[in-house]
Amino acid sequence: MTTREFGDIELRRVREHVWEIPQEGEMNAPARILASEALLEQIGQDKTLEQLRNATHLPGITKHAICMPDGHQGYGFPVGGVGATDTTDGCISPGAVGYDINCGVRMMTTNLTYEDLQGKEEELVEALFEAIPSGLGGGGVVKGDAETIDDILARGMQWALDEGYATEDDLAHCEDEGFRDDAHPEYVSQKAKDRGRNQIGSLGSGNHFLEVQRVTDIYRDDVAESFGLEADQIVVLIHCGSRGLGHQTCTDYLRRIEKEHNDLLDELPDKELAAAPAGSKLAEEYYGAMCAAINFAWVNRQLIMHRTREVFADVFDRDWRDMEMRLLYDVAHNIAKKEVHDVDGKERELYVHRKGATRAFPAGRPELPPAYADVGQPVIIPGSMGAGSYVLRGGEKSLDLTFGSTAHGAGRLMSRTKAKQEYWGETVQDELREQEKIYVKAQSGATVAEEAPGVYKDVDEVVRVSDELGIGDKVARTFPVCNIKG
Amino acid sequence: MGFTLREHTADVAVEADGPSLGAVFAAVADGLAAAMCDDIPETGERFSLSVRAESREAALFDYLDQLIYERDVRGVLPVAHEATVQQDGDEWVVDASARGVPFADVEARDVKAVTYSEMRLDPTNDGWESYVVFDV
Repeated sequence: MTTREFGDIELRRVREHVWEIPQEGEMNAPARILASEALLEQIGQDKTLEQLRNATHLPGITKHAICMPDGHQGYGFPVGGVGATDTTDGCISPGAVGYDINCGVRMMTTNLTYEDLQGKEEELVEALFEAIPSGLGGGGVVKGDAETIDDILARGMQWALDEGYATEDDLAHCEDEGFRDDAHPEYVSQKAKDRGRNQIGSLGSGNHFLEVQRVTDIYRDDVAESFGLEADQIVVLIHCGSRGLGHQTCTDYLRRIEKEHNDLLDELPDKELAAAPAGSKLAEEYYGAMCAAINFAWVNRQLIMHRTREVFADVFDRDWRDMEMRLLYDVAHNIAKKEVHDVDGKERELYVHRKGATRAFPAGRPELPPAYADVGQPVIIPGSMGAGSYVLRGGEKSLDLTFGSTAHGAGRLMSRTKAKQEYWGETVQDELREQEKIYVKAQSGATVAEEAPGVYKDVDEVVRVSDELGIGDKVARTFPVCNIKG
Repeated sequence: MGFTLREHTADVAVEADGPSLGAVFAAVADGLAAAMCDDIPETGERFSLSVRAESREAALFDYLDQLIYERDVRGVLPVAHEATVQQDGDEWVVDASARGVPFADVEARDVKAVTYSEMRLDPTNDGWESYVVFDV
């Protein structure tokens, strides 16, 4: 048997790209890491494995706690972590969802080609940067009063449709049609609503961005055709989440769990894994509040997409509909959802926690919209601003291996403090423009340094592992043209 | 007394010390400001805040959470922190103030939230030391 040791953790190789930390002591299940040798070597360098092992202590965790190929150290639950817990005798963990509830990505396709865009890159990046709120204190596309906030929390993209910021077709191409009907705005605190009020339709900063990209490679022609993707096409990728409203919601419930379920908290090895017992009043309230924050995040990305359409209409001097600017799909990667999965031949309802992991359902799952019911859902994997991004489709093996999940990005390799010592924002921008014809505009040069391409893992390797495991199949690759960030 | 930003793969950590609980709380808050901004201007008015919690660690968590809340709703970057921490029965009370630099005056980045991950708040021979990870 092949084994690897990282500190006090011994991993056993199950098969290619699958490693296991056997169940022992207080663990409620084994843990599995889905990685190549090269990715495992990187994953083993920080506290990812320790955090994954800690996650197996969650009550009711089913089969395995799982680390995706892009996993890295987070707080409590690792980023790239998937954990499914029973909805009757398990728990729901705000720490296993993360602060940025429904942080996610969406991709919008166009009928423009790279040739149509060449010569307009600078004008486009400046116009997008001007029109789309970003950074700290950048405001939002919409300034909401109390009624507006509650409406967004309750109805998600249906609110955007009624207000003229979305089309029926947008809703039909969003996870859950952009609306969680389990949302309960009354369980979101006033503090959270106060923070969200000025941020409706804003990118924020950190690793969030909007990127105009060109499709460079098609790997599966039939699936790409179903997704409306073809070589040389221009697409837009938007990555952001639920802003201060979601961050505050997670904080509020972590503190409530600490006060109301301290007995459970004492059994967990890390306070950030804070969990409410399934069936408790607090579990129901957190689920209702989290679903409301999910709705907020979908509206956030929708408003940014709406602004993007307006900018394209100005820059290319034609109606955005004539450019066929359609939402390909919007996927969440910080979320917990009640889903039914087959476990040892029995159907069970589970809270599937995905923290830095993307749902990757194959064809046939009832949750998929009609457009993708026969082909599998699109999965969008952003790379760094100097590398390619990928579009995958949910893989046949994902339900068995990962509760229908795959990676969410390249995964960070270098700390932000070290990145600022290694890189200088303006130099990174100049090199990307001169060497790669990528136009980057940011509120802060430090953000560019922190997000330099060299701080991320090799997205090609992450996607290769996903594809070879059959959890997310490669469909297309894209390359950046314009990037704006906070 | 002061703070140091420590490496963390995805987020940012602050290590701080001070001669009193209030001093180390304020030093962590200064570290939070440094994580958001490299060059802090001298502009802005001071404002006060107060939190009450069931333990010292919870008081530190709530204090930092309240600063992030004040940042978003006031539209300012809280800097130049001062704090006192006192026990009141079973609770700990933080009375604090900060200077709020208007966002228009500063180039700053977002920090999403304070976390309990790896949090330390320990007495030393000279006072107190703390370690806090923030979600970026």
